[in-house]
Amino acid sequence: MKPLFHLAALLGVFSRFAIAGGEAPRDELVAALIAEPARIQIRAGEQGNVLITARLKDGFDTDATDTATFEVGTPDLLKMETGGTLRAIKAGEGHLTALFAGQRIEIPVEIAAATTEPPSFTRDVLPILSKAGCNAGACHAKPDGQNGFHLTVFSFDPKSDYDEIVKHARGRRVFPAAPEESLLLLKATLALPHEGGERFDKKSDAYNALVAWIRNGMTFHAEKEPALESLSVLPAERRYRKGARQRLLVHAHYADGSVRDVTALAGFVSNDKEIARVTEEGAVTVGKVSGQAVIVARFMGLVGDSRLIVPAESLLPESQYAGLPVNNFIDELAYSHFKQLGLFPSANCSDAEFLRRASLDTIGALPGEQEARAFLNDTDPAKREKAVDRLLAHPFYADYWANKWADLLRPNPDRAGIKSVYLLDQWLRESFRANKPYDQFVREIVQTEGNTHRFGPAVIYRDRREPADLTTMFSQLFLGVRLDCAKCHHHPNEKWGQEDFYQMAAFFGTVKQKGAGISAPISAGNETFYFAPGTTVKHPVTGEVMTPKPPDGLAVKTDSDPRHELANWMTDEKNPFFARAVANRIWAVFFGRGIVDPVDDFRISNPPSNPALLDALASELIKQKYDLKMLMRTILRSRLYQLSTIPNEFNRADTRNFSRAYRRRLPAEVLADAIADATGVPDSFPGMPAGSRAMQAWTYKIESQTMDAFGRPNSSSDCPCERDLRPSIVQSLHLTNSRSLQSKLANTEADSRVQRLVTSPLSSEEVVSSLYLACYSRTPSAEELGISVAAFNTPGATRRSAIEDLLWALLNSAEFVFNH
Amino acid sequence: MSLHRNCNGIARRDFIQLGLGGALGMGLCDLFRLRALAGETGAIRPAAKNVNCIMIWLDGGPSHYESFDPKPDAPAEIRGTFKSIPTSVPGVHFSEPVPELAKAFDKFTVIRSICHKDPNHGGGNHYMMTGSPTPVPVGCGAFVTFHPSFGSMVSYDRGVRGGLPAYMAMPSNTRSGGPNFLGGQNAPFIIDGAPNSKNFQVNDVVLPREISEEHARSRRDLRAALDRMERFNDKLVEDPSVVFDQFYQQGFDLVSSAKAQAAFDINREDEKVRERYGRNDFGQRLLMARRLVEVGVSWVTINYGGWDDHRNLFETYKGDRLKQLDRGLSALLTDLDERGLLANTLVVALGEFGRTPKINKDAGRDHWPHAMSVLMAGAGIPGGQIVGATDAKGYNAAENVYRPEDFAASLYTKMGIDPRQSLHTTTGRPVPLVNDGRLIKELFV
Repeated sequence: MKPLFHLAALLGVFSRFAIAGGEAPRDELVAALIAEPARIQIRAGEQGNVLITARLKDGFDTDATDTATFEVGTPDLLKMETGGTLRAIKAGEGHLTALFAGQRIEIPVEIAAATTEPPSFTRDVLPILSKAGCNAGACHAKPDGQNGFHLTVFSFDPKSDYDEIVKHARGRRVFPAAPEESLLLLKATLALPHEGGERFDKKSDAYNALVAWIRNGMTFHAEKEPALESLSVLPAERRYRKGARQRLLVHAHYADGSVRDVTALAGFVSNDKEIARVTEEGAVTVGKVSGQAVIVARFMGLVGDSRLIVPAESLLPESQYAGLPVNNFIDELAYSHFKQLGLFPSANCSDAEFLRRASLDTIGALPGEQEARAFLNDTDPAKREKAVDRLLAHPFYADYWANKWADLLRPNPDRAGIKSVYLLDQWLRESFRANKPYDQFVREIVQTEGNTHRFGPAVIYRDRREPADLTTMFSQLFLGVRLDCAKCHHHPNEKWGQEDFYQMAAFFGTVKQKGAGISAPISAGNETFYFAPGTTVKHPVTGEVMTPKPPDGLAVKTDSDPRHELANWMTDEKNPFFARAVANRIWAVFFGRGIVDPVDDFRISNPPSNPALLDALASELIKQKYDLKMLMRTILRSRLYQLSTIPNEFNRADTRNFSRAYRRRLPAEVLADAIADATGVPDSFPGMPAGSRAMQAWTYKIESQTMDAFGRPNSSSDCPCERDLRPSIVQSLHLTNSRSLQSKLANTEADSRVQRLVTSPLSSEEVVSSLYLACYSRTPSAEELGISVAAFNTPGATRRSAIEDLLWALLNSAEFVFNH
Repeated sequence: MSLHRNCNGIARRDFIQLGLGGALGMGLCDLFRLRALAGETGAIRPAAKNVNCIMIWLDGGPSHYESFDPKPDAPAEIRGTFKSIPTSVPGVHFSEPVPELAKAFDKFTVIRSICHKDPNHGGGNHYMMTGSPTPVPVGCGAFVTFHPSFGSMVSYDRGVRGGLPAYMAMPSNTRSGGPNFLGGQNAPFIIDGAPNSKNFQVNDVVLPREISEEHARSRRDLRAALDRMERFNDKLVEDPSVVFDQFYQQGFDLVSSAKAQAAFDINREDEKVRERYGRNDFGQRLLMARRLVEVGVSWVTINYGGWDDHRNLFETYKGDRLKQLDRGLSALLTDLDERGLLANTLVVALGEFGRTPKINKDAGRDHWPHAMSVLMAGAGIPGGQIVGATDAKGYNAAENVYRPEDFAASLYTKMGIDPRQSLHTTTGRPVPLVNDGRLIKELFV
């Protein structure tokens, strides 16, 4: 660890210099000093930390730990090391004083006698190995270990790690007679060659702790060792100026009420490096971007967080927000969030933008030319609300939303069977056609019983054959929680461990199947799934039979199918995950990103950008009895949804708080249908009835170069992968040069748009307007009209060629390809 | 070898770093290892980023007996009806159906000792096309992807050059040739159609036939005048239409590039050369592949299926499928060599497995992953070399045995890609690109 150590020291010096040189607040600005913890509890011989914060008169707090002067009142009991770090010498009631900017604060230090318990592997050794990175997936926790030494990933199996160190390799990793000669220490200090380099040096606390443990009999777990219960990080939440620095402290809380300062043993990670960075030692540097971030501290499978708010340099006066229209609670909550961050919303979008955006987002189709024209001409002040209601009642609604869920649920037909997969597709479409309440929709999936050739969702169980596979899928889809990591080891940045994973898996342990299983080559058979009590799920390390228990929920004891209890727990209005997860998913469709994003990754280190808003949306959905259309109506009616994509000087850099609308490329199916609608030439898909839309294709195997180019998900790919909405070279080549688009433009059937316009009595101006309405839901500007009409009069141009070229140009422009 | 790329490339977004990357996924340990690796492999791939690859994918699994690994001394029920024939290298024999390749053996290496354990087409395809076995058993008819294919990884590594998609496939994608979590940008660009037919035209990268260059230019001008949505070049805004414009510009550059356009037009090829590759669609695809790598396409897969000969293998192998392969592939190797392109063009031909030693009752052979032959040439791979061997009857790879992981590691190393790097899935889980692959050292002499 030597190079890092030096770097940290260097940074430390630099930071002190910087603060002393420029950032220290003037004395008269400091209102008070705060010490955290206010009272230090520590054992003799151990290290502890205190944070000194200067509370300023302008409402900001600033970290003064490194710049404050410390006076030790009881030098026989304790001494200061660097910054706010102190070391206890012997038991007693000590105290120290911090001085800063003419203010002082006294801090009592309660020093308990040094522990008589021998050091234990679980309490004292594992945290050191974790901090040093020994059990990282790329080092000794690789499947086969590294150089013969194998630890479990993030120590998910402490006993196995203990045996590996103490008992394996003929015991040569530890040498109790001369602990300093232990291989474990010789390698870690680079006294012997070590591919992983020096992890700590011989003067470090880590080294001393390992020596002490080896010398004192290498206890695995001390007899009265209290369980580790929670982690807290100081400061828990704070507002910062840009460029500010902050030291963090991490406290571990044990079942016996004791608190241990584990700052030196914790790992740290920032969720947004633009807003704040953090060192391995827990030193935070705030960046130049305003917004919110969290720093997550990890220690022995637990996580704690410190929340940061970095407002813009100057907040806007309250009066500036006073005139903003509030359509519903979404706007209220968004504005109050903007005020905190100094953001100001973009202007109202135009009617044309609204209609096109709402239509693409709600039904996945462009508004027709006539519809756009009528909407623009409508003088009813409530026309946007009315358009929302029309869209929600539109027949395309079901296909569009079913398709979104199919992305997530649809198995590979090669694996699970064509008929079974097709039935799921039909079930999804029917569910959205009926506007089935979301809780019922999920309940039907989770509680699936029956035959894959009769009941659509059964194919999900056919495809995900193991309880573990269903656990991963359902928790990610319906709870927004990625438990996948915890299948094999503790989630690195969350509290979930294997116990949580297999308790969840136990809900599916009693599902049995009979019938023809997955079989080469096309899995054409069918299978029936049913509840069969008695089968169990075991913890892979301890072998313990798991009782079903949802994450953060209560264990379930039942003689009937526990999946019913799981569904009850999920859909209970107090469930902390379920309504939030789906509200966030729906939100992301309309705004291009979730309030939590990615939408299925809720965790402490990935907080919502606007928690109050997400809570309110979830409550609304519960109040509306999980009627998704009602939630969509609320979202669509909000002013927030109707903001322009054009940024203003206060929200240019906002890419997550929704103070402006974000441009999004049209998804593959939507784009294919939009091209078909704009050209008036439908696609013909092999194996589907004439007139079918791309949105109705039920498998990626239905051929479409357009959909492939624009990244439709391929269900032969096991992810389930997020859709790739990025532009690509293949897309631009396809739109500019493809035979399929060219043949649509050149089509001479009566319904083709070009043909209709060519043969119509419309003037050039009227033709241009018609094309703009069809593609962009708006009429052309005078300038656009001029350029377009001129295209009719270029030498060699015919009415037909001009219309073809104009339509080609409009379809190849950003205004077509993006939802804006 | 770029350390920066490894540390940075894995972090598609902040959340992924946070999810797993950060300090845990990529600790100091990796940094030390990477540094060591840079020293170790740096020496053996000087100009690898200029190496392009043509992969001939023989879906179904060709017989090793009737191609590169004849067993003339085995009993008749194993040996089959073909004779073995001498090659241009004394002492090495191929089987009768590949006479042209036998003559051109001085240009390539045959590995006779790659094997695995997946006897299903779906699983075997996946293993040999990605270097990674499927995590669940996969049926024979299946098209599956759990891991990025070689071509997609190369595309991810190199990106678009001169408007050319880095990864192309003809006439269709292979079963496991997709990008998986690397995303749609790294899916293959498919060139369908029949290049041996008179009016063959590559799709999308050339103008539609009825649009003249002048017409295309006037359309482009019209578009430029009408594409008026405001762009925000300020990076903070994260305006996706700015990226969209970059791809359009690249696309227009490609269409205006006389060199690239000439490459796509196979009709410009000398008739004698076309004849040499064989006037059939497969032969012309090989020729097309040469033209594509010549202008800088990084990876071209030719999906040439139908090798699942459970019946009538011996009659079939006398027919067109093998003749076209023998003629086309030997022509490709010779042509690349004559043009000085072999040094930076990797050529690989293989299927998902070999075939059973015992001839079945239908005069066919069944699936057999325990032995197979893989042809590799170019990019510094020696000619006239046999790597490894199967046992006397061709049952098992027996000498110098290599796994698909080793094949993958070698392939990536030839392409200038560090096979020991970690990728991150969409959920942030670190996945080794190749799981503990060893280099096939005979390819790096």
